[in-house]
Amino acid sequence: MDALIEKLKGQIIEQLNLAEVKPEEIKPDSPLFGEGLGLDSIDALELIVLLEKHYGIKIQDPKDGKTIFQSLRTMAEYIKSQGKS
Amino acid sequence: MTKAYINGTGCISPQNSIDSEWFFDTINPAKGDYFDAIEPSYKEFIAPNLLRRMGRAIKMGVAAGNIAIQQADAKKVDAIITGTGLGCFEDSERFLLALLNNEEQFLTPTSFIQSTHNTVGSQIALLMKCHDYNFTYVHRGFSFESTIQDALMLFEEGKETILVGGIEEHTPNFVILNRRAHKFQEVTLNTPIWKSTTPGVQMSEGTACFILNKTKTDKSLASVDGIQTLYKPKTSADILNKLHSFLKLHSLTLADIDVTLMGFSGDVNFDSKLQELLPSIEKESIAACYKNVCGEYHTASAFAMWTATKIIEKQKLPQVLAISDKTPSQIKHVLIINQYLGINYSFTLLSQC
Amino acid sequence: MSQRVYITGLGMISAIGNNVSESFLSLSQSKTGIGKINHLTTRYKDEFLAGEIKLSNADLVDLVKDNNPALNRNSYIAMLAAKEAVINSGIDTNDGLRTGVISSTTVAGMGKTELYYKELFEKDDHLDVLDTHDCGDSTERIADYLGNVDYVTTISTACSSAANAIMLGCRMIKHGQLDRVVVGGVDALSKFTFNGFNTLMILDREWCKPFDENRKGLNLGEAAAFLVIEGENALNLRKGKALAEVVGYANANDAYHQTASSPEGYGATLAITQALAMSGLAQSQIDYINMHGTGTPNNDLSESMATKAVFGNQVPKFSSTKAFTGHTLAAAASIEAVISVLSLQNSMIFPNLNFTTPIAEMNLIPETQLVNTPLNTILSNSFGFGGNCSSLIFKKA
Repeated sequence: MDALIEKLKGQIIEQLNLAEVKPEEIKPDSPLFGEGLGLDSIDALELIVLLEKHYGIKIQDPKDGKTIFQSLRTMAEYIKSQGKS
Repeated sequence: MTKAYINGTGCISPQNSIDSEWFFDTINPAKGDYFDAIEPSYKEFIAPNLLRRMGRAIKMGVAAGNIAIQQADAKKVDAIITGTGLGCFEDSERFLLALLNNEEQFLTPTSFIQSTHNTVGSQIALLMKCHDYNFTYVHRGFSFESTIQDALMLFEEGKETILVGGIEEHTPNFVILNRRAHKFQEVTLNTPIWKSTTPGVQMSEGTACFILNKTKTDKSLASVDGIQTLYKPKTSADILNKLHSFLKLHSLTLADIDVTLMGFSGDVNFDSKLQELLPSIEKESIAACYKNVCGEYHTASAFAMWTATKIIEKQKLPQVLAISDKTPSQIKHVLIINQYLGINYSFTLLSQC
Repeated sequence: MSQRVYITGLGMISAIGNNVSESFLSLSQSKTGIGKINHLTTRYKDEFLAGEIKLSNADLVDLVKDNNPALNRNSYIAMLAAKEAVINSGIDTNDGLRTGVISSTTVAGMGKTELYYKELFEKDDHLDVLDTHDCGDSTERIADYLGNVDYVTTISTACSSAANAIMLGCRMIKHGQLDRVVVGGVDALSKFTFNGFNTLMILDREWCKPFDENRKGLNLGEAAAFLVIEGENALNLRKGKALAEVVGYANANDAYHQTASSPEGYGATLAITQALAMSGLAQSQIDYINMHGTGTPNNDLSESMATKAVFGNQVPKFSSTKAFTGHTLAAAASIEAVISVLSLQNSMIFPNLNFTTPIAEMNLIPETQLVNTPLNTILSNSFGFGGNCSSLIFKKA
C-alpha cells in the first residue's frame, strides 16, 4: 500500500502540474480537496483520467470521485479494491 | 464626443516594454522570420495554484492587466473587455494533439477549458471578483479595435473604469506551419518595412492592456478620442476619404496629426494600400511605423496604442519608428492606421490630455 | 439618442430543420432533432447522441452554391442562416444604409483543422486551414456572401456568445453607429468540442432531461442562427415589418469558477435582474422564460436558484428547448432568440422534452406539452464558461 501511495504522489504531481509541491508534502491521510492540497472540481476530473490511464479503472459518474479522492490512502485503497495496483 | 482616458498600461511584447522605463532605446531584433514576446516572471502577479493551469496567453493577459491596474491605481473596474485573434492557442493545440495522438482517449479537461477564447477575460474577472460586463472579441485585425469601440459606448452608458486588452500568443508549431505556408520572411531593421517589395511578415505575439477612464484624472496619460474600423476598403483613395471624414468628426485635419503610426507589416501584398497612402500622410503629418519592432499579429494594434500613449507621454517619436525625416516639435495628436492582411483596416486617434 | 430596436428577419439551421419553417414544424410537433451521430467522425459515435444538422458538407455546398475549397462546415451553415434572415427581413444591403454583421463562434474552423492538423507538417495540400481556423473567418464569409457590409466583428464568450452578439448589435444601433445588423452565432460539431465536453463528464448518453431531478448532462448540437435587427428609423424608412422588439438585455459575470456556475446562480441573477430593469417590465409581466437549461446537474440547479431569486413564488411558465436542438454552444442564444420570436408570433410555448421529475429542492415544473397561449414578453437566458451570463427580453411587435 505504501509503495502505491508513493507512486500516486508522483503521478498526481505530474497530472495536475503541481510544480511547487514536493511529494513529501502530500500526506497519505490529509484531504486532497478544499483544504490540504486545495484541489477543485477540475482536478477531480483530471484524477479520474489518471486512474484510467495508469490503472485501467473507468469511472462513469464524476460523483463517485468524492469518496475515492478523499485522500491518497482512499485512492490507493480504491485501486487495490479494483484489483489494479 | 465621449473620450477614453488612458490611466494605466501594461505591455508584454518582443521588446522590453514590460520595463516601465523602456522607450525604444534598446531594440531586440526578430529571430530571423518571427518574434517571441519577452515575458516577465509571472510569480509576481499570479498565485502558484492558479499559475499551474494557465497557458501563456492567459499569463500574459493577467500580468499585463495587473500592471495596468497598478499604474492606474484602479480599485475596481466596471467592465473587462479582451480582444484576441487566436485566443489560447497553446491550450487548443495541446488538447487537439492529445486527441489526435491518443485517438480520443485519456483526455483531460484542463487544456480544453483553458482553450476557450474568453479564458483571459474570465480569469481576470475571477481574480478581481468582477461581476460586471465581460466581453471577448475574436475578430482578426478588429479584435482589439472592437474592445475600444465597446468601451467608448459603455462610457456613454455610464461606466466609469474599464480594462481592455489585446492578447496574442503563438507556439513553436504555429511558427513552423506558418513558415511552411510561406507567410513569413526575414526582414532586418536595416530594410525599411514600409518599402517591402516581397511577401511575408514577421509573425509575432504580445499583449497590451489598458485601464480606460471616462473622466480625466491626475493619472491620465493620454486620451483615445475615437476609433473606426474599415472592412475590405477597395482602394487607398477609399481609405483616405474615410480618414478625412473620421478626422472631421473630431474637428481635425491630417495637418493636425503630429505623428501617424502606420501598420506596415513587411508583406507587400498586405501593405500596398498603405504604401500608396504614405505620400498623402507624409505631406501633412509625420509618418512612422511599429511592426518593425513588434512584428505582425492580430492584435498588434494594441502594441500601437501602447506606443502612441508613450509617444504622447514622452513627447518624442523614437528614431527606430520614424519613416519621415521630419521631427515633431509638439505631439498633441497621434493617429494609428492599422491594417491586418490587407482586409481589416482601422483608425485610432489619441490625444494629449 | 436611443431608438427602439426591432427584429425583422429570422434564419436558422440546426438538428430540427434546415430553415425556420422546418424548425417551426419540428417544434410544434414536439419532434426532437437529437439522435445517433451520422456526420461527425468520432470513436464515440455509438456511445453518445448529438443534435446534428441532417446535411453532409456536400449537401451544404449545393445549398450555399459556393464551392470555394476554403469554406468549412461552420461557414456553410453560418452563410445559409444569415442569408435566410436577410431574405426574411426584406432588407437590401445595397440601399446605402449602414449594415453590420456581428457573429459569434467558439469552435470556428477547428472542425476542419482537426482533420488535417498532423499532415500539415508534411504535406502542403491543406495549409489553407491556417487561414480559416480563426473565429473571424466565418463572419467575413457571411459579410461577403451578403455583400455591401460596412462593419464586422466576432464575439466568443462560450455558450453565451450569440446573446452578446445580439446585445452588441442593439447597442450599436442605439448609439447611431449602424442602422441594422445581422446578429447571431454559429458552431458546427467537431471532435474537439465533443471530446472537450466529454472530459468534463457532462454529456448525457441518452436524451438530455433539462430541469429533471435525474438529469445527467447535455447533448451537444450544431447550428447557426441569425436575426436581422433594425433601428426604428431604418425600419420606418423602408416601411418594413417588425417581428418583435428587443426591450432588455444585460451581461454580467458569475466570477465564481472557470467552468462551473455558482450554486446560488449569482451571475445569472444579476443578468436577469438587469435585463428586467432595462425593459421596464415587472417580474409579473414576463409571460415565458426560454431557459438556458442545458441538462447538466450544475447549470439547471444554478439557473433554478437564480429564477427563484428573481421571480420568487411567481415563476412564469418556462421551458428549455435544448432537448430539441442539443446545446449548440455559441449559436444557442440566437437559436433560442429565433425560437422565442416564433413563440411570440404563434402564441405557442414549445415544450421541455424528456422531463418527468422536478429537482427536489426546487420544485420547478417546466411546460412539458405544447401550450397555446397569447405571449407578449419572453425572457431568454444564456450562460457560459468563464462565468459569462447574458439575458435578453423580447416583446411582441
